[in-house]
Amino acid sequence: MSALGVLCRKELHATFTSPIAYAVAAVFLLVTGYTFSLTLFFTKVANLTYIFHQMYVLLILLVPVLTMRAFAEERRADTLELLLTAPVHEVWIVLAKFLAALALVTCLLAASGAYAVVLSVYGEPDLAPIYGGYLALFLLACLLVSIGTLSSSLTENQVVAATCSLGVCLMLWFADSAAYIVPPPLDTIVINLSLIGHFTTFVSGSLFLSDAGYYLSLSLLALFLTTRVVTDR
Amino acid sequence: MSQLASPVPIADPIVAIEGVSKRYGRVVAVCEITLHVPRGEVLGLLGPNGSGKTTLLRMLTGYLSPTSGRLSVAGYDTERERMDARRRIGYVPESLPLYTHMRVSEFLRFMARLRGLDGNAADTAVTEVAAQVALGDRLAAPIRTLSRGYRQRVAIAQALVHRPDLLVLDEPTNGLDPRQIIETRHLIRRLAGERTVIMSSHILGEVEKTADRVAILLGGRLLAVRAIAETPDLEALFLSLT
Repeated sequence: MSALGVLCRKELHATFTSPIAYAVAAVFLLVTGYTFSLTLFFTKVANLTYIFHQMYVLLILLVPVLTMRAFAEERRADTLELLLTAPVHEVWIVLAKFLAALALVTCLLAASGAYAVVLSVYGEPDLAPIYGGYLALFLLACLLVSIGTLSSSLTENQVVAATCSLGVCLMLWFADSAAYIVPPPLDTIVINLSLIGHFTTFVSGSLFLSDAGYYLSLSLLALFLTTRVVTDR
Repeated sequence: MSQLASPVPIADPIVAIEGVSKRYGRVVAVCEITLHVPRGEVLGLLGPNGSGKTTLLRMLTGYLSPTSGRLSVAGYDTERERMDARRRIGYVPESLPLYTHMRVSEFLRFMARLRGLDGNAADTAVTEVAAQVALGDRLAAPIRTLSRGYRQRVAIAQALVHRPDLLVLDEPTNGLDPRQIIETRHLIRRLAGERTVIMSSHILGEVEKTADRVAILLGGRLLAVRAIAETPDLEALFLSLT
């Protein structure tokens, strides 16, 4: 097994045996399940758009809690010294932590797929916005997990890591509001930095490479910076 | 002072430290240290807290990068050929970092696989190293339930599991009771026949009883390197230098 495989296995075990993971999963599924049931009961419309927007907010709030321990806990317990003196490239350590957290979020999204199944069984939903919505949520999860991992690599305090990660994600969410006060061409840049702007198009069933590129490029940037933080000693 | 350090060149040293310094801004943690360690030797780094022992060991293991100078282990540069160098080092940090949620066997297998041993080879290595450090009856125990003495053994076992040429121990007897100190000392002496050991300590008697040579550090500088057998009064030497 490669070093990445060994590290992924360890991180997956740590992630899926953590009580934090189960608390987050419970909150996520409880809140989305409650909203799905109520929305369906009152509107009788086979549509998940409202749920996708709620998942968007929940992921922004909950992913920092999932990722806060990634490096902060290793720093606090000094176990990072063990990993960083083993014959393993730092990028594998970062990727293993990223993939383990992403796997958990993907499981949450997969579990929420039950709502789409219910709609398909009892109605005739338009599937394009549903596929687009789940793709958008997965790409959003990639970005949020990578920002959380970066934040966790900067401190040994998990609460500080979660708070900083939440702050960055919220600023990205509201970035487009600043377009009203900055001059061109900065306003275009600020609008294009916004999380929600790139999310809404997916949920409406329109797929643009630029939106996917936004999430992927920022995710790669955050992972690159995390590797630099871990490597720079 | 420099003539006391006497970095005598050694043919085919397992560890070569050449003019190594480490600075944090204006603070100099390690200053221009040159030191060679032959195969099979137990070298004790002796010095008060803050003398640069841990920083020097961390640079040797690749955890920290030197500001200047170069270090090599078994001929591999710890910066340019860091993966090759790290494969030849087993390291036990002072704080005994362990994944306490894991069982002993699980942790040792993880560390073995991380260092490139595959399935069966990793299992065999875990069994062997557990016998070597007398951990056999604790392999199934969760690490969080172990005493400080047993945790020390687990930490040493993870450092030995890939059969390294060099074992680096940072304050190996720190926090142990007298019996555990004696057992750790005997373990280090046993290991010395098979591999090179570099250990740090701020306890003069520990170095005197365990090491073949002693390197005395103060304020990040190497003050002297002496063979223990040729130093009848280490305490007087230490006091005269510091």
